[in-house]
Amino acid sequence: MGELLVGTRKGLFVLRKPPGGGAKGEFEIVARAFPGEVVEFAMRDRRGGRYLAGVTHGQFGPHLFYADNPAGAWQQAEGPAFPTSLNAAVERIWVIEPGVGDGELWCGVAPAALFRSGDGGKTWALVQALWDVPERAQWNPGAGGMCLNSICPWPGDHNRLAVSISAGGVWLTDDGGNSWRRGVKGLVPRYLPEEARHDTHAHCVHHIERAPQQPSTLYMQFHSGIYRSDDAGESWIDIGTDRGLPSDFGFPLAIDVHDPNRAFVIPLTSDMDRVMPGGKVRVYETRDRGGSWRALEEGLPQSKAYLTVLRQAFCTDGANPLGLYFGVQSGEVFGSANGGRSWRTIAARLPPVVSMRCA
Amino acid sequence: MPRVILTGSIQQHVGGLGAVDVDGDTAGAVVSALEAAYPPLRGWVVDERGALRLHVKLFLHGKAVGLNAVLGRDDELHIVAAISGG
Repeated sequence: MGELLVGTRKGLFVLRKPPGGGAKGEFEIVARAFPGEVVEFAMRDRRGGRYLAGVTHGQFGPHLFYADNPAGAWQQAEGPAFPTSLNAAVERIWVIEPGVGDGELWCGVAPAALFRSGDGGKTWALVQALWDVPERAQWNPGAGGMCLNSICPWPGDHNRLAVSISAGGVWLTDDGGNSWRRGVKGLVPRYLPEEARHDTHAHCVHHIERAPQQPSTLYMQFHSGIYRSDDAGESWIDIGTDRGLPSDFGFPLAIDVHDPNRAFVIPLTSDMDRVMPGGKVRVYETRDRGGSWRALEEGLPQSKAYLTVLRQAFCTDGANPLGLYFGVQSGEVFGSANGGRSWRTIAARLPPVVSMRCA
Repeated sequence: MPRVILTGSIQQHVGGLGAVDVDGDTAGAVVSALEAAYPPLRGWVVDERGALRLHVKLFLHGKAVGLNAVLGRDDELHIVAAISGG
């Protein structure tokens, strides 16, 4: 585990495990950037080491920045920004994901748009074809805005991509973004009257992840359920109902990049009560593709802990054993270095956590 | 020509200056000219649609004005971040 990039409502915090482990397991804060500003998402492109951050200034709007050293000077990127002809404005940067090609990166924003960079994040261009899909007129925003919140490239194939939108469903491309199709078969939007579900476009997808070892496998945290796809997002199988979960509502989802059968969710009580069930902080793991789930709780608060975790605030480090980390809106960050068997509080008094990625 | 007074964090995008003389006969023209002279400022005062950001205010002679406000040669246009946050 190297660095942890924690986006909060009052800036970016870069955490690192101190030599010798640190008092009570807490990580050190080795850098803070964008003080006072909401860092919606921050990541490090491991291919070249560049850091990128989507930052929303309370008055001056959202902007994307990049740096070689998070403790040093950050440069402002050109974009993401809509062409003036579209009469649209970026409301918030939700996710930045490395692509497959050299210097290729993708960025998802509200209002549900995808941007691509070919130069490591310095400049960005709108993926016009996704903006132009006629179904866009029938999309609705979720409570957090109409966000393109997850981007799943296909390892080794720069033409294939899956993205998810709240509330616009899953969209798939096989030609580098020049054409798109929906991937929502099997999703049941229980938040709609039954007679309205079959032809709706209001699929509120909170988060999706692709298993890199088996790219046709994706996992989804939906507004009403947890799902798995075995056909690259074309259709989805319910893996949240009657499987041992206290709730199938939640926001983030994480996977083990080495094991396509293994995924993790952090349930919240319901869409009407977005705190952890029963005041217990628990991460749930499946090792059989969602056939069953078990609670991971050792070292996590098990009483009076009514915490909320947002969809970008849960990550893994891709190591073996797997490191997992999540941050909550009360400012705590929890981490496990052993695949979730045990957890520690690695930061206790940060501002509300919005996002988290291992650098 | 009119003078633009900038305060707070947007000064960093005009080389740290607190005041810049910029040619233009409306507030919108002056903001556009400022962005042309200082490209990092693009997107900070107006968005891609050319609309003034919701929490940014323009003041001329002590009154809040819009981008269509007419400026005289010796006028000072203040770009101010609204008091908000939490």
